[in-house]
Amino acid sequence: MRRIVILWAGLAIASAVLGAAAAFETRATKLQAIKTVGIVSAIGEEMSLTRAGLTGLGNAAQSASISAWGLDELIVQQATKLLSGRFRVQPVTYRRAAFAAIKDSAIAPVNLLRSDPFKELVRSDIAPQGLDAYIVITRARSKLGNGRDVEGVGLAEYRTLLADYGLIHALYEIRIIDGKSFDVIEKRAAAPLDNTGTLRLAGPSGPVDETFGGSASSERLRAAIVDLITRSLPVTLGDMHLIEGQ
Amino acid sequence: MLPSPSGNWTVMVGIGGKYTPDFVGSKNGKFLPIPIFTIRRAGSIDQFRGPRDSASIALLDVGNFRAGPAFKYVSSRKGNKYAELTGLGDVKAAYELGGFVEYYPVDWLRLRSELRQGFDGHTGTVADVSADVIVPLIQRLTISAGPRFTWKSTKATAPYFGVDAAQALASGLPIYNARGGAHSVGFGSQISYRINPQWEVHAYVEYEKLLGDAADSPLVKLRGSSNQTTVGLGASYSFDFRIR
Repeated sequence: MRRIVILWAGLAIASAVLGAAAAFETRATKLQAIKTVGIVSAIGEEMSLTRAGLTGLGNAAQSASISAWGLDELIVQQATKLLSGRFRVQPVTYRRAAFAAIKDSAIAPVNLLRSDPFKELVRSDIAPQGLDAYIVITRARSKLGNGRDVEGVGLAEYRTLLADYGLIHALYEIRIIDGKSFDVIEKRAAAPLDNTGTLRLAGPSGPVDETFGGSASSERLRAAIVDLITRSLPVTLGDMHLIEGQ
Repeated sequence: MLPSPSGNWTVMVGIGGKYTPDFVGSKNGKFLPIPIFTIRRAGSIDQFRGPRDSASIALLDVGNFRAGPAFKYVSSRKGNKYAELTGLGDVKAAYELGGFVEYYPVDWLRLRSELRQGFDGHTGTVADVSADVIVPLIQRLTISAGPRFTWKSTKATAPYFGVDAAQALASGLPIYNARGGAHSVGFGSQISYRINPQWEVHAYVEYEKLLGDAADSPLVKLRGSSNQTTVGLGASYSFDFRIR
């Protein structure tokens, strides 16, 4: 029995290593062939307000509109600037709400096995068609505490018995979608910016301080979110081998 | 599409140990060192985990409800290793495969249940139910505690607590036909303290009172104890690395 388990485990590891090596080679080849790209961003229409830790029953997350902040336009601008050195970036039009509405399935294997839902949207919704690739930036999700998910741009509060802690976050993921076959060449969630906080999320986030209170809080909050995006975008695009490493 | 491995990862390495009964039903204990190693995407939350939880993967995750497969390895019981087991023979290692469900009605309360089927050492069914109140005192310091209950079928109970005629002759214990049912009830508590983003220390205690045929087994009544306590502690160091 033990020998059979070891044999199967060995075969599974060997298959995974070989599969990963083949996938890397395909990705690298496809990235080298890309000359023209279009950029889609759909993370910045709403901000979530989440509480975790010692909270009461029925503590559902709330959201507020931040479309006036123009975060998606800013992201497209920043990404265009970063990618222009290597690619010819062309402006594209798309329905932002349609991209923002797509969510991952709660059943993890479904996300691995099903066709990526953004493929079809890129094929049907973006104009012009025919570019070599499309860079699609959408909301990503992370756990906060034990039973809470946070997503995209937001403000989160973690309550403990003796103190409360605030966090701002800008969680996003980037897909590179082939402009001809519409296959997803690469998909990556933006990583945390540093390793200094004990309260961490799986993406760009930072502590909230007292400067977020008062009359100009919205402006300060926007500036802090913009800072998270501005600092994380070059790192994420670098990790995806789209720009030189940061 | 399979996610790419490049990007930031967090590795946690450490060492722990636990003082636990020599075998289930024993009145004596032993110390076991336990290595700690996990790897996960940087920033992924290292979520609450109870010391009695089986290894599991949440294939279904809707925030406060998770479910997926679970696996537990039950080590073999060698008859010649402890004097109390003389004449009872060996019980081979068992592999328990099954599933778990976990629900957080609020962020600080976890309800968890596991149902597993044994292979090899025993071929019975095991069900675990537990609740944990998880209280973060401050951001770095969390304590948790709650009750536990285990049910086992006859096939999961008999190999460890039954005494057949041959075993009775060899061990001096009376013949005993152990049947399934409520196996144990208990209480567990743990405390974890994150010294800084890299270092974390934790300690726990799990008490279990054997019930039913397990508690009434001559192995437990004459040579062991129905009170089973495990105490554990550990320290771990986390660091990030980046794959490009």
